Amino acid sequence: MSPVQSALAILLLPLASAAVIALFFRKQGALASWISTATAGAIAVLSLQLIFGGERFTASMEWLRFGDFSLSLGFKFDDLAALMLFVVSFVGFLIHVFSLGYMHDDAARARFFGGLSVFMFSMLGIALADNLFMIFIFWELVGFSSWLLINHWHEKQSAADASKKAFIVNRVGDFGFLLGIVMCYWANGTVDLSELAKLGDAHALVFSAAIPLLLFCGAMGKSAQMPLHVWLPDAMEGPTPVSALIHAATMVAAGIYMLCRVNMLMVPEALTVIMWIGTATALYAALCAVTQRDIKKVLAYSTLSQLGYMVAAFGLGSNRIHVAGCSFGDKMGFEIAVAAGVGAAMFHLTTHAFFKALLFLGSGSVIMGCHHEQDIFKMGGLWKKMPLTFLTFTIGVLAIIGLPGFAGFFSKDAILYLAMEKNTAVFAVLALTAVLTAFYMVRMWKITFFGEARSEEAKHAHESGLSLTIPLVVLAVLAVVGGYAGVYGKLAGGIAELVPEAEGSAHTTILLVSLAVMTIGTVSALLFYPATGADALEKKSSVIFSGFVALKESFDSVYDYYVAKIQQRFAMVLNFLEQVFLAGLIIRGAAGFIGLIGIGARALHVGSLHAYVYWFLLGAALLWAYAAGVF
Amino acid sequence: MNSLPLLSLLVFAPWAGALVLALLPRLSPSASRGLALGTSLSTLLFGLIACSDFNPAATAYQFVEVHNWIRALGVHYYLGLDGMSLLLVLLTGLVAPAALLASWRLERDVRLFNLLFLLLQGAALGVFLALDFFHWFIFWELSLVPAFFLIKLWGGPGAPRAAYQFVIYTLAGSAFMLAAFAAIYGATGSLSFPQLAHAAAGGELAAALGPWWIKIVFVGVFLGLAVKVPLFPFHTWLPSAYAEAPTGASMFLTGIMSKMGVYGFFRLLWPLFPAQLHAASGVLLWLALAGVVLGAFAAMAQTDLKRMIAYSSINHVSYCLLALFAVAGGGSELARDSAATSAALTSAKEAALSGALLQMFNHGLSASALFFCAGILASRNNGNRGLADYGGVRTSAPLFAGLCGLAMFSSIGLPGLNGFVGEFLIFRGVFGLVPYAAAVACLGLFATAYFLLTFWQKVFHGPVAGGGKNFADLDGLELATLLPGIVLMFLLGLAPQLLAGLINPLVTTWAAK
Repeated sequence: MSPVQSALAILLLPLASAAVIALFFRKQGALASWISTATAGAIAVLSLQLIFGGERFTASMEWLRFGDFSLSLGFKFDDLAALMLFVVSFVGFLIHVFSLGYMHDDAARARFFGGLSVFMFSMLGIALADNLFMIFIFWELVGFSSWLLINHWHEKQSAADASKKAFIVNRVGDFGFLLGIVMCYWANGTVDLSELAKLGDAHALVFSAAIPLLLFCGAMGKSAQMPLHVWLPDAMEGPTPVSALIHAATMVAAGIYMLCRVNMLMVPEALTVIMWIGTATALYAALCAVTQRDIKKVLAYSTLSQLGYMVAAFGLGSNRIHVAGCSFGDKMGFEIAVAAGVGAAMFHLTTHAFFKALLFLGSGSVIMGCHHEQDIFKMGGLWKKMPLTFLTFTIGVLAIIGLPGFAGFFSKDAILYLAMEKNTAVFAVLALTAVLTAFYMVRMWKITFFGEARSEEAKHAHESGLSLTIPLVVLAVLAVVGGYAGVYGKLAGGIAELVPEAEGSAHTTILLVSLAVMTIGTVSALLFYPATGADALEKKSSVIFSGFVALKESFDSVYDYYVAKIQQRFAMVLNFLEQVFLAGLIIRGAAGFIGLIGIGARALHVGSLHAYVYWFLLGAALLWAYAAGVF
Repeated sequence: MNSLPLLSLLVFAPWAGALVLALLPRLSPSASRGLALGTSLSTLLFGLIACSDFNPAATAYQFVEVHNWIRALGVHYYLGLDGMSLLLVLLTGLVAPAALLASWRLERDVRLFNLLFLLLQGAALGVFLALDFFHWFIFWELSLVPAFFLIKLWGGPGAPRAAYQFVIYTLAGSAFMLAAFAAIYGATGSLSFPQLAHAAAGGELAAALGPWWIKIVFVGVFLGLAVKVPLFPFHTWLPSAYAEAPTGASMFLTGIMSKMGVYGFFRLLWPLFPAQLHAASGVLLWLALAGVVLGAFAAMAQTDLKRMIAYSSINHVSYCLLALFAVAGGGSELARDSAATSAALTSAKEAALSGALLQMFNHGLSASALFFCAGILASRNNGNRGLADYGGVRTSAPLFAGLCGLAMFSSIGLPGLNGFVGEFLIFRGVFGLVPYAAAVACLGLFATAYFLLTFWQKVFHGPVAGGGKNFADLDGLELATLLPGIVLMFLLGLAPQLLAGLINPLVTTWAAK
């Protein structure tokens, strides 16, 4: 197969799998699950072949043409796409395998695996797309498949609500994205990524802060950045493999990937906004994570926080140039700075995909072991009963808090270094976030796995089967080795070279800082939280605890207020005005007016001869007057 | 090519069917259903024949039939077809048989129902194919009569009032249009659309009417069309008419009747009064935007499913007019200054116009499918169609839920389904011409997604409740009604060039004007 053919096969295989399942195997859950998993396996193999085959290409075909106006679909397979392809196909395959076990007893298994296939199709489309229009198509489809999978248990009201919320919040961001695409088309005459890059090299791009910021709206939705982050914690209503695949490793990373794809359009002002939104999200979500009791919710907020890290890293690419402005003299420096942001963001995206998928699947194994208990305060003592899960989960925790030697350490260091060089305030916030990350992760880890078993479910916990543990082990290996140049350099090719690296004294400083923040967070969590059935923070300082809870709920209450009090009332008022004012007063009024004329005209024809005679006389008099020239 | 009067066959086949039904009073209900369906399908058949002989590269009218009719008045029997008419003929061929299938289980006065329906179908086809105002207007007005009776006799409890309001309102609009054309005829002595368009392009129409009269005439024609579409704020007849009509009639009203008005805007108003439309486009854009945004927000407040879909129809059809007004306006100052090249403006116009034509077709498919789904819900639950009357229908009827969901996502504009292409092109085009209008219209997109997903969540998701209990899944007949439309939604979503090929050169010519 030529590379283009295998890319096409990678894209279309999951669509075929979804179609076959939807048309023929809706009732055969076992068969459907194997079809979907086998497809995912084939995609993983083909992807590895394509990535390590070394060939990089572009190919496109016209999809729609009107006169001079055309839209096309195509592949742009460069190092960036190769890296994203690896994350999606490889992690996706492992999560399929995990789902074989996790969803084994689900009544609607066929629908679930069909949905996974639709999702793979959409996500691979984003990774391979060669123009913004095509990215938008698959972007929407990703939103749709996420909707489909979150409401997998649609009889549950909370799942139905969560899926609706996710779709609509994403849609809000997508409108910005749509306008950004349309505006880019209008300003530059193309949305093809290679063409845009060419224009950028020739300094012929129309630079405007509006285009990148509108495109960033899309990323805010998908990558759940403030203030559009509210859907992600709720999305945990979906089955755990879905949370791992969509809401940790791939879909939420699509926003970061898209930003890296359009980096040639970035201007310093836009990057500054992006940087601050990412930084704020990182800190905010870390604060929210501290009070969560649900194991998946802790991971959800931690995902938000890590995505904030990536967005901040991307935005950090530019700050130094900001002062100098964006004249052509600085163009070179400006480009290199953006590239450093791309390097750091994609690096963290990759390692995060490994360890966060690992943590989510680990939590899935824990939840299954505890018979679908999700409250960490009702767990405890699981390290003995679920040794393999415990071991791999621990590796995931060490990776996310950035213990030297683990994958997360390298990528987080790259971001912190970039921040230290570019912007001290951002650096301080991100370092504080790192302390909090270590704090809440170790809190969860300790309470879940240590102490006494605090419920019947936890007492009868058992280690999960092979289909659950094998993906855990593979991901654990990646969470350890994924950060080394030998692995990441091979995977990412040219993108790995963009990762900013500290040298000399800066290297020592950044190493000391990251060790310090990690140690502070870890030790304080270990000391502060006993592995018991109550939250120590709630007991000892209810003020801080309720402060964090209020912080978490503030956004939701604002949106709820908007929906219930503003939007719905606006609709009601509108409806009322229409019924009463437009349909009632004006239309009925017009009808009534004409009716009155009718009544008046009818009054003239009363049927009485006397009346007619008088009318006749009046008319005759008027005629005479007219003829005589009286008026 | 002219050996077979294809267009006359297209228009009069349904009327011939209606005549047969009228002449055979003893025909059994099932025979009249079959006869009506067969005649109704003839539109699709002839439409496909026209499609295969159609030369997409030519922009002139094809399959033209011209005969002198009333010599003294210079009235011709004049039929012709271009890409836009062909699109709408095909749409009629798809929606009308589906609407008849949807009414298959109707028990009362079956023969009369089918007769009226065929009359309606023939009148609509006449509107899409006639090129002389004289019989165009006859078709236009004749479509009201069967629609009135279909709503009044087979509709819900509020039907008589809704039907009355619908007919009076539309007639009032038409009266202005008739007067306007009388003035045009008085000034030019011609009623043929191509001739008048030619005269308008050459400036003779304006010269013949004089600077004041042409404005008044423009307003008259505009009113007739605006009520029919309907354009905000002339829409108040629509929600109750659509909601009270029987399912099949709702499908036809939203699928075809609303397109008659839009067709009129493209066929009459724009070619005959380009300068006036250009001058008015600023105001009209805001009216179309009001339809897009307020229509969607008003839909949010509805608790009756059919009223909700009716308002969503206002929203969707307003996109077509938004695109037309943006093009007729020729782009705002801002767009003209910064886009600089005329090539950019032309490609924006092409996108907007082709988007509008595709949107007409796509909305016809998705809205009629949604009305049918609302009809199914009501038929299973004693005619109740409140949003709160259901819960968890997806649990009991997964197939129905899936197909209805596809129709809904087509309406929301999900890529991969047909609705997306038209809307994307409209946004792309309108943004290049009037950027603020595209930005404001985004609110309408948001609200559409919001109320449709709310509908879905309340009716199909959550615990099984109300009418959702023991909800029977689709049977064979219902599946046969719904499935062709759904398949087409996929097909046209994946390969929009199928339709685009038919209107391509036409749109290019329009955009170059």
